[in-house]
Amino acid sequence: MGLRGSTDSSLMCILQTRSKEQVLLELIELICRTGRVHSAEDLTQSIFYREKLMSTGIGLGIAVPHVRIEEISHPITAIGISHDGIPDYESIDDELVRIVIMIVAGKNQHKEYIRLLAEIVTRLKDDGVIERLCAARNPDEIHEILIGSSDA
Amino acid sequence: MLEQFHFILSKISSLQVSILFLLGLALLGGTIGGRLLERMRVPQVVGFIIVGMLIGKTGLKIVAGSTLQALEPLNYFALGLIGFTIGGELKKQVLTKYGRQFLSILLAEGLFAFLLAGTLIAIATKLLTGDTHLAWSLGLILGAIASATAPAATTDVLWQYKTRGPLTTTVLGIVALDDGLSLLLFAVASSIGLRLIGDTSTGAMVSFFDPVYEIGGSILIGALSGFVLSRYLRRCHEEERILASSIAAVLLVLGIALIFKVDVLMASMSLGVIITNHNPRKSKEIFRLFARFTPPIYVLFFVLFGAKLDLTHMTLPLLLLAAAYFVGRTAGKMLGARFGARLSGAPKGVQRYLPMCLFSQAGVAIGLSILAGQRFPSEVGNVIVVVISATTFVVQIIGPLSTKWAVIRSGEVGLNVTEDDLIRRTKVEEIMDRDVPLIGENVALSEVLTTLGESRNLYYPVVDGEGHLLGIITIDNLRDTFMAANLQSLLLAHDLMEPTTAVATPDMSISEARDLLETHGLEYLPVVSKKGKVSGLLELRRMKRYISRRVLELQKQAESLT
Repeated sequence: MGLRGSTDSSLMCILQTRSKEQVLLELIELICRTGRVHSAEDLTQSIFYREKLMSTGIGLGIAVPHVRIEEISHPITAIGISHDGIPDYESIDDELVRIVIMIVAGKNQHKEYIRLLAEIVTRLKDDGVIERLCAARNPDEIHEILIGSSDA
Repeated sequence: MLEQFHFILSKISSLQVSILFLLGLALLGGTIGGRLLERMRVPQVVGFIIVGMLIGKTGLKIVAGSTLQALEPLNYFALGLIGFTIGGELKKQVLTKYGRQFLSILLAEGLFAFLLAGTLIAIATKLLTGDTHLAWSLGLILGAIASATAPAATTDVLWQYKTRGPLTTTVLGIVALDDGLSLLLFAVASSIGLRLIGDTSTGAMVSFFDPVYEIGGSILIGALSGFVLSRYLRRCHEEERILASSIAAVLLVLGIALIFKVDVLMASMSLGVIITNHNPRKSKEIFRLFARFTPPIYVLFFVLFGAKLDLTHMTLPLLLLAAAYFVGRTAGKMLGARFGARLSGAPKGVQRYLPMCLFSQAGVAIGLSILAGQRFPSEVGNVIVVVISATTFVVQIIGPLSTKWAVIRSGEVGLNVTEDDLIRRTKVEEIMDRDVPLIGENVALSEVLTTLGESRNLYYPVVDGEGHLLGIITIDNLRDTFMAANLQSLLLAHDLMEPTTAVATPDMSISEARDLLETHGLEYLPVVSKKGKVSGLLELRRMKRYISRRVLELQKQAESLT
């Protein structure tokens, strides 16, 4: 499991929009396309509610919106790269957010959820990963950088 | 319409229907009567008896004598259950600890009552009739009957108020044993009494061996059955089988005792004594099961008892005799109990309050009076029956009240509480933890950990801005975050909390809360008020600790009275 098991290149994209709201909706749509989320509306509501409690922009251009919802059986991770940056994300260091990693887990997957979050944060701390991600031009490149080549 | 009414009436007059009707009526009326009097702080048993009198021979006569006759077996059954349960209290430790005390109190209260009631009756009869022989023979018979103390109403009060302690033990011991004494006294008294009024048809020897046979036989039947049941129970493990076979044993003992014409109460009591001493663990289970199903049977027993009491033949001379009997018996019981308790060095509480606990008179007294009524010429026999009926009515009302007063003063009320009682009686708000730190859902992990460091709880309710419950953070949840130190700024209480599957309300009983905990496999329940706000937390381990501590405290309190 872990990050590799929770995502694939169909869950990755180069973001087309620039506002926080639009970006989050883009990623939600990617997740909903897997067909594993029953109610896009619930997911959207949960994601935005969580952002209202506190922004998930954790600095260094990274945001990790995350939420646990009822019906998911194992975690899903969607990744979006914004080349222009998202100015209204309200990151804690006030930097433009360029990498948005959305995690959706099941209500009872407490452990997997925390592990996944920890794994992602650790991975991003590796030298040069953030820069390389920001420069990625398509889903496959994102996949390559974050996880390794698809066939590995 | 009218035809249908007649049809129903005709049906009711048939015996089976009327018995069912009567049972329902008696149970319902008795329960309501008991409840009403309980509100007036009078022991419920008085209410049962009064309701019985209202519908019975003395009152509205709704119940036909033949119906009461047909229900006689039910009375035996109730008596058997009472005897069995009292026998269960007479454990080896109790008998060795209190045996001497029981014996001296028993002899003193029985003989004092016999002497005083007998003397007063004799004097009153002499004054009323001038017949010395009649005076002495009535004095002997009624005096002997006066020595009996009925267990049923007294124990009902003890059970209702959940008493425990030396006074309770002594009362149970005395009411259990004094049947034997009164049977002996009655046998001797009636044979002498019969000679006094010139009837020599029954030999004194036969009469003297009667009670020995009756007491010995009942003990033998009860004890033998006790060993058999105890053996059999070793192989029973399900509640249903234990209950069914124990009831069967009680019924069989009653039946055999009736066949051999020995005392049913003593037979069932012997059964209880053997079971409780021979198989203490199983018997605990039996008496717990019995306590659950016997209450309606006792209600019926007392209502029917009231219905049978016939006070319609009262005349002024009889009333005077009844008064003499009542005064003599009461004074004798009180003085005797006091004397015997002091002589045997019983605890102060027993010396002081036991004299108020021994007034009740019922089955044995009435039974003996009817027996006397058959043995003696009818004019004498009727006097005995009416005097005993009238005084039984009075003492059955005074007895429970004075017993209640005594056990309250002795401080033994409420000490005989089982875990089950506590669980049913205690409300969640009484034992919940009110000082649970609440965590706002937008609080960051670092702050959650600080809160955790400052308190000793295992569970932390997560709430929104208005204090409404959203979820719970447990130590277990947080353990997962220890490996993710780098997530401090990313995780809020909202992300860490577990959804709550069940909640308790403050006014819920602990037994309901325990069911919730069990069905959901939880270790804790957040307690939420009607408005959805968190008012505390109930933890399984704390609940268990509270209950066992409380039971222990009450036990210690009861022991400290000795």
